[in-house]
Amino acid sequence: MAETMGQTAAATRNTKVALGIFILALTPQLFEFIWSWGTLFGLGSGRGPAQVLISHGAALTAGAPGAAMSFGGEAKKALASEVTLALIYSYPLFAVAILTLFIRIRSAQDYIGGVVMIALALFALWASSDLQGMRGFSFGAGTAPRMFGVLMLLLSAGIALSGLLVDGPDLAHYSWRGPLFVMLSILFFAIAIRSLGLVVTSFASFMIAATGSHETKWLEAAIMGACLTAGCALLFPYVLGLPMPMLPRFMIQ
Amino acid sequence: MELFSNLALGFGVALTPTNLLMCLIGALVGTLVGVLPGIGTIATVAMLLPITFGLPPVGALIMLAGIYYGAQYGGSTTSILVNIPGEASSVVTALDGFQMAKQGRAGPALAIAAIGSFFAGCVATVLIAVLGAPLTKLALAFGPAEYFSLMVLGLIFAVVLAKGSVLKAIAMIVLGLLLSMVGSDIETGASRMAFNIPELADGLGFATVAMGVFGFAEIIRNLDAGAEMDRELVQQKVTGLMPTMKDLKDSTPAILRGTALGSILGILPGGGAVIASFAAYTLEKKLAKDPSRFGRGAIEGVAAPESANNAAAQTSFIPLLTLGIPPNAVMALMVGAMTIHGIVPGPQVMQKQPELVWGMIASMWIGNLMLIIINLPLVGIWVRLLRVPYRLMFPSIVIFCAIGIYSVNNAPVDVILAGVFGLVGYWLIKHDFEPAPLLLGMVLGPLMEENLRRALLISRGDWSVFITRPLSAVLMAIAASLLVLAILPTLRKKRDEVFVESEN
Repeated sequence: MAETMGQTAAATRNTKVALGIFILALTPQLFEFIWSWGTLFGLGSGRGPAQVLISHGAALTAGAPGAAMSFGGEAKKALASEVTLALIYSYPLFAVAILTLFIRIRSAQDYIGGVVMIALALFALWASSDLQGMRGFSFGAGTAPRMFGVLMLLLSAGIALSGLLVDGPDLAHYSWRGPLFVMLSILFFAIAIRSLGLVVTSFASFMIAATGSHETKWLEAAIMGACLTAGCALLFPYVLGLPMPMLPRFMIQ
Repeated sequence: MELFSNLALGFGVALTPTNLLMCLIGALVGTLVGVLPGIGTIATVAMLLPITFGLPPVGALIMLAGIYYGAQYGGSTTSILVNIPGEASSVVTALDGFQMAKQGRAGPALAIAAIGSFFAGCVATVLIAVLGAPLTKLALAFGPAEYFSLMVLGLIFAVVLAKGSVLKAIAMIVLGLLLSMVGSDIETGASRMAFNIPELADGLGFATVAMGVFGFAEIIRNLDAGAEMDRELVQQKVTGLMPTMKDLKDSTPAILRGTALGSILGILPGGGAVIASFAAYTLEKKLAKDPSRFGRGAIEGVAAPESANNAAAQTSFIPLLTLGIPPNAVMALMVGAMTIHGIVPGPQVMQKQPELVWGMIASMWIGNLMLIIINLPLVGIWVRLLRVPYRLMFPSIVIFCAIGIYSVNNAPVDVILAGVFGLVGYWLIKHDFEPAPLLLGMVLGPLMEENLRRALLISRGDWSVFITRPLSAVLMAIAASLLVLAILPTLRKKRDEVFVESEN
């Protein structure tokens, strides 16, 4: 009884891991898709979401298998970058995801770490696939990235394999509060520093970051934030002479 | 006698009021960083890089160097008094130092740590001065193949000395090499892996990545480690700094051995202060007649690692100044500081700008003297600083880091990139990948690629050039044997684990 329950638990975990790898395999496409929504509002340039969806969808479903089939015949034909992305990055990871369903993971920490590294290596191989290779004895721009990409692929495959062969620690516990608020604070700083100036930005960022710990006492943090802001406002522009806007733009005008 | 004239030149430079002030600031900031856990040397140097814009190059380098060896001092103080190593390099000092403090012998422990550090600092300063010139000559005999082999050796060293899995450490190095290739290719100018993003066209900034992986990631990790670390202070007066005659007699050989070991590990590429202190402690324990004393307040356990980390912190400047190869991440940031001022580190710096190199070397000795004078009386103040709770400290560090990165290029995108690398660093820590080899790979990447290309171009595409040229062959052979040595114990351990499992 206990054994079957253990097996089901392992099976559901494997399914989760496989699903995670599946999403990882589509991350670049998803990223471009999300990014493309910005073009609708005039932010950034590039293709609209509909175009992105169609081109990647076509590449993933039909284009790549077709290209793979005709690989023997006309190998040197230039392929669209969506197709190479699907071929070099997504398909191998799909394969890993499917494989994950049928194996016993002995150290999730190593296995998942290795798979993500494999993904990075494949992505680097794709990113450098359009660069020039060797010309005679001299390296092209793409030679070294490809060389190290392949090396990394082998190493990370080794890491993933060791996660299957050797017992090791399970996944570590992630907390969300600290990372979230520290990242929000950094993001706010980056977005606001140009328009709102050092004083407002650093105080607000301080308070956002302070939210990341559940031990924060608000009054204490506000006082500390104010002192720090005052210190920074004196130190960076005046003592160190770094050019930095101090006050919000609308207040200066 | 060239040595003395060089040193005289150096002291002439280092003793000017501005440079003395820079040295003092560096030493104080370094001690502060060393005392405070949660912020390391790498993040601090990265944070202060933009500040050095406005300074003269000599002053800037003197200050940054001061931070590095100052942190080694500061770390020992809190390790001994409150069992909180402020710096990774003083983790082992806490083992015996804190036990001594518990026995009411905090004073002698601090004094021995300071004396050991000072002695090691003096030896290392002389060593840099003595070895500088001949190594520079050797460096001129180096061709691209030798440079490449030396860097491979350095990276292998970093792998061997890193804790944890060899495979993971090598993977981190290769990831660093790949990251270093983002941006435009040096030779052809082609844009590589930049995805037409203008901010990536110049490549990833080393300081940005360092700040993310070591600054932000560390903060996030500390937050989920249960935030408030246990900071029960030992509320006691430090009385009687003077060590007894027996203490001195016991610790003298330990200081000598620690200094020697630290100096060697510092010079080797891939080494550094952290490894030196661990190695020195292990050596003392192996050599001791009664190893069981260690961990219960043996004074050798304080003397050896403290001497070793200080020696290594300084001798790691040797490969940087003579060969232009940064042996660890802090030195890599020093390269950044030099490049800001238009100095290319390497053998030519010694010849073209002797006042810079020798000024820095002389300042190290002066800095050590300052540290021993300011640190012992100020112990109380440093310890009081530890009472600042982490809940107030971490937002301040976040803001400082953000302002620091922003001011490097006045680019908000850099801040976001550092944040992203903070998350990456957090993930790496969670999966037991060490970030230090990644940074080393990233620093050495461009140098390695350039020399590899050149070597193969000269040899007309013949890869055997790395083993047919004698110097290069020796370096490669050392690297290969080190790698074998590193892998063997892991294999054995893994096999042992398998055996243990099958017995159950």
